Amino acid sequence: MPFDPSLAWDSLPRMLFGLANTVGITALTLVLGLAMAIPVTLARMSPRRIFRLPAAWFVMFFRGTPALILMYLVYYGLAQLPSIHDGPLWPIFANAFACAVIGLALNHASYLVEILRGGLEAVPAGLVEASAALGISPRQTYQWVRLPLAMRYALKAYQNEVIGFTKGTAVVGVITVVDLTATANEVFERTYDPVTPMLTAAVLYWCLINLMRIGFEFADRRLNRHLAAEEQRRRKPVAASLQPALARWTGLAAPNTERAL
Amino acid sequence: MSGTAPLPAIMIAGLDKFYGGFHALKHIDLEVRRGEKIVVCGPSGSGKSTLIRCINRLEPHDSGRIVVNGIDVNDASSNIQDVRREVGMVFQSFNLFPHLTILENCMLAPRLALGMKKAEAERLAQRFLDRVHIGEQAAKFPAQLSGGQQQRVAIARALCMEPRIMLFDEPTSSLDPEMIKEVLEVMEELADDGMTMICVTHEMGFARRVASRCVFMDQGEIVEIAEAAAFFEAPRSDRLRAFLSQILH
Repeated sequence: MPFDPSLAWDSLPRMLFGLANTVGITALTLVLGLAMAIPVTLARMSPRRIFRLPAAWFVMFFRGTPALILMYLVYYGLAQLPSIHDGPLWPIFANAFACAVIGLALNHASYLVEILRGGLEAVPAGLVEASAALGISPRQTYQWVRLPLAMRYALKAYQNEVIGFTKGTAVVGVITVVDLTATANEVFERTYDPVTPMLTAAVLYWCLINLMRIGFEFADRRLNRHLAAEEQRRRKPVAASLQPALARWTGLAAPNTERAL
Repeated sequence: MSGTAPLPAIMIAGLDKFYGGFHALKHIDLEVRRGEKIVVCGPSGSGKSTLIRCINRLEPHDSGRIVVNGIDVNDASSNIQDVRREVGMVFQSFNLFPHLTILENCMLAPRLALGMKKAEAERLAQRFLDRVHIGEQAAKFPAQLSGGQQQRVAIARALCMEPRIMLFDEPTSSLDPEMIKEVLEVMEELADDGMTMICVTHEMGFARRVASRCVFMDQGEIVEIAEAAAFFEAPRSDRLRAFLSQILH
């Protein structure tokens, strides 16, 4: 594969500009998606059908629709509606960048609802009961016991979803937003070199994703200190029981404790 | 008995509880005096746990009355909070908050429900952890402790709210045999200090040493109530005799 380093270097400023757009779309989608997902999750888990059913439909619709189709629908589709076109929100829906964020956030939120719900439902009922029995109010129990634990349970699934949709932001190119992939595509069309811009974009995506991974690992270590402690405790006896075998293989003396038999 | 009758710690009258069509508690009457230690036993599914879970309203009852230290246990959420402040509970599965340290587990309720300052809650928590002989583990997380240690923390956590009544729902049933004793010892110390206690347990040695009265339940009914000695030596009902012969081998 012919990789052209000088083309990569020359196109780097434009690629970085595209990357900045990708990062911006990702960040806004994260925030907007979470803001939408929290109330929908609460509605989805409500004992009352008038809340639960619309929330279920929201998930069913936006999770079932490809992000690419959502882009077209939000940007080109909504513009066909006179109430949107002549309404007060038109400046938002006329803006491709804003439409990209809205479409992606709807898609992201629909996944997030199920992730949050899974986390909340995984919190053992006994812990909620113990908190109630201590005289802690239901609202405080939610805030200090259920939600913190749900966040920990959901973190890995959330990380998967966030990384998945970050790469998925490439679909915004179809509604004229110039993100990293669209920039790479422009360079390709200008130079007829398919390899160099795409590889450059891939490397930049890879850097972004791994930066995010490091952030998630940091959060995981902080939130799951209590599990790390347990892991340590569980690992120790295994290491101890391996020692005699290790000693036999290596020819070194095993600790005396195993000699009793 | 003579003299004025003080307010009972717990008064249960005509209590009924259904799960759908299943009659889980059938017309239960029970009065627990201050400082009494009641041991409840009976076969699995007899309603023992349901009964004590009704006392702090983890389960709502369907009819009858429960009065705890003069507070009616009913739908009113302020009453529920008041009752839960009077009544501490220890569960079979410990139910410590896994994301909080031992000390934080004990501090949470005083901080949230009583609005206590952090330093004060810390002192309180440390005092009760010391009392259940686990003060040196305060900075660890629950998963780092053995089952017996976790259950003692659960007792300390309940005591931090300084309840006047303690409910124990099979506190040693999920423990390895060598850890049962350390938990029972803590419970006995608590009993010696005059705590009003209702313990659902099959630890018959504990019942003999500690119980003021033993309650035998079967199929949602209280079949027999007697002082510990009579309960074990002279059971009146056939059902209790059969039960005792099964568990005392």
